[in-house]
Amino acid sequence: MEIINVENVRKTYRMGDNIVKAVDGVTLNVFGGEYLIIMGPSGSGKTTLMHLMGCLDKPDSGEIYLAGKCVSKLNDRDLARVRNKMIGFVFQQFNLLPRLTALENVELPMIYAGVPRAIRHKRAKEVLTMVGLRDRMEHKPTQLSGGQMQRVAIARALANQPQIILADEPTGNLDSKSGEEILKIFSDLHSDGLTIIVVTHDLEVAANGQRVIHMRDGRIVSQEVRTSVRNA
Amino acid sequence: MLEMLKEAFRSISANKLRTALSMVGIIIGVAAVIAVVSVAEGTSQSIKQNLSAIGSNLIMISPGFTRGGGGRISTSLSDLLTKDDAQKIQQLCPSVVYVTPMQQGNFLVQYERQNTMTTVLAVYPQVFNMMNLNLQEGEYFTQEDENSRRRVAVIGKEIADMLFPDGDAVGKTIRITSQSIRQNYKIIGVLEKSGTLLFLNPDRSILVPFSAAENRLFRRSYVSSIIAQAYSEEVAPQAVSEIDAILYSKFQNEDKYRIVSQEAMLQTINQTMSLLSFMLGSIAGISLLVGGIGIMNIMLVTVTERTREIGVRKAVGANRRHILTQFLLESVILTLVAGVIGVGVGILLSRTIALIGSIQTAVTPIVILIAVSVSIAVGVFFGVFPAMKAAKLNPVEALRYE
Repeated sequence: MEIINVENVRKTYRMGDNIVKAVDGVTLNVFGGEYLIIMGPSGSGKTTLMHLMGCLDKPDSGEIYLAGKCVSKLNDRDLARVRNKMIGFVFQQFNLLPRLTALENVELPMIYAGVPRAIRHKRAKEVLTMVGLRDRMEHKPTQLSGGQMQRVAIARALANQPQIILADEPTGNLDSKSGEEILKIFSDLHSDGLTIIVVTHDLEVAANGQRVIHMRDGRIVSQEVRTSVRNA
Repeated sequence: MLEMLKEAFRSISANKLRTALSMVGIIIGVAAVIAVVSVAEGTSQSIKQNLSAIGSNLIMISPGFTRGGGGRISTSLSDLLTKDDAQKIQQLCPSVVYVTPMQQGNFLVQYERQNTMTTVLAVYPQVFNMMNLNLQEGEYFTQEDENSRRRVAVIGKEIADMLFPDGDAVGKTIRITSQSIRQNYKIIGVLEKSGTLLFLNPDRSILVPFSAAENRLFRRSYVSSIIAQAYSEEVAPQAVSEIDAILYSKFQNEDKYRIVSQEAMLQTINQTMSLLSFMLGSIAGISLLVGGIGIMNIMLVTVTERTREIGVRKAVGANRRHILTQFLLESVILTLVAGVIGVGVGILLSRTIALIGSIQTAVTPIVILIAVSVSIAVGVFFGVFPAMKAAKLNPVEALRYE
């Protein structure tokens, strides 16, 4: 079953005097439980496409459906709810809030979801344990290594039990060992049935996906489907 | 909501020096408002107390213009108030219970080697009753003294202390002089300390029977003023119009006399004081405004600094209202805390003023309530723009912000 339908979506940005066609007529279907890699050189529009699928941005034209529901016309509040419940983001820069502990960072999406305090604590501890940070819960991001920060970010993405994980260069700021650990977590999540979409230009990262699409100048130029998934 | 409060406190306390500095403006503003209003309120209260201390329902009648100086000098008795007018008021005004004419002048008063310049008031004995003047020792002069023009005097406490440092004023004879005038009066009573009353100060006055002084000391046939007392508060306005009728029939000109009831005076004072406290309060309020702008400034800086944080929050599911609430809460907490500190500082300030200036100050709960709610309002007013700015941030751009 398809979980994301992107239909002829366009998005332009104004960069100074230039108008950049970041996404220029993309149509893409993502299946539930799929591990999809989006590749392309910088400026190819892959990150913008991810933002559009993640409801962080609205397309200029075209439609995006998440689980059959059209999200391109939703208002701010409903978009926020979709981001909160359905999607988990993982960024290259980790984007943890520096003043909060690992546990509090993981609780953040649940606060916006209105999850009661006790349940929130329990769930946050659960996901942090799942990513192997049981003994780092009260640490602030500055007291954690890059790999650990990214694992906190993954735990945060998982907090509200989303269906889709969107990751933008998740290993870009990590050493290869930490990167592998992150990719292992993604593979595990994929095995558990989550839909994983990773934006990268790293071939090693791409090797984990079931399907790789290549973008250039805002368009999808090719795609390769692999039947087997590498088990790390 | 609770989480947001916690979050707001956390981010405010993250930058203590900046927070403290941005609060200073509000603290000063609130403290100034509290102090200024407390002084005005205290002064107003003490004036009211004094005014009600001089006896109730008094009506002051005075000439409509000042004689002498560069103005018109009236020579005709028909243009001036006299003791006959006082008697006419007594006889013809049913709402008036007591009346006394009053001569008022400054004289040199001597006892042996002590002397002082002071006010001599020539009045009817009813004045003690009318103005609630109590004796500390001796006795009042009486109608009998008035009828027989007896040269006796009741003196104020401060005069007694000055002329008779060892006490024992009653029974002594003082000399009241002015240029060629030289008269001896026997002290028969000393008044209790009463504090400054509105238009005269009994503590620094010498009261003598009207008849005993009108020809001997003052040597004129017009009087300085006339004081009347109405039967009750209810008939006071009626008494005023009765007196007005009598005086108008004499002068045929409203400008030649003035009738002021105690009530009207109280009203005037109230109006003046509330205007004064409003004006001073507004001036102090300007620093609140300046403080508010400081808060807005700091909140704008905060929003810019935390652009990325806002992006992250939006990415994990915060909507505009969440972000708006978060930043608004921060600015309101900032101003609220500053307001409460300001109230504390203001109360201290007002106490200090009361101690140093030895004047009465009063911090009323209303003022505190207003000051605190104004602080909150400042927080909302000046926080709304930065918070809106934060809420409207595009999450993609916010995440990209370095």
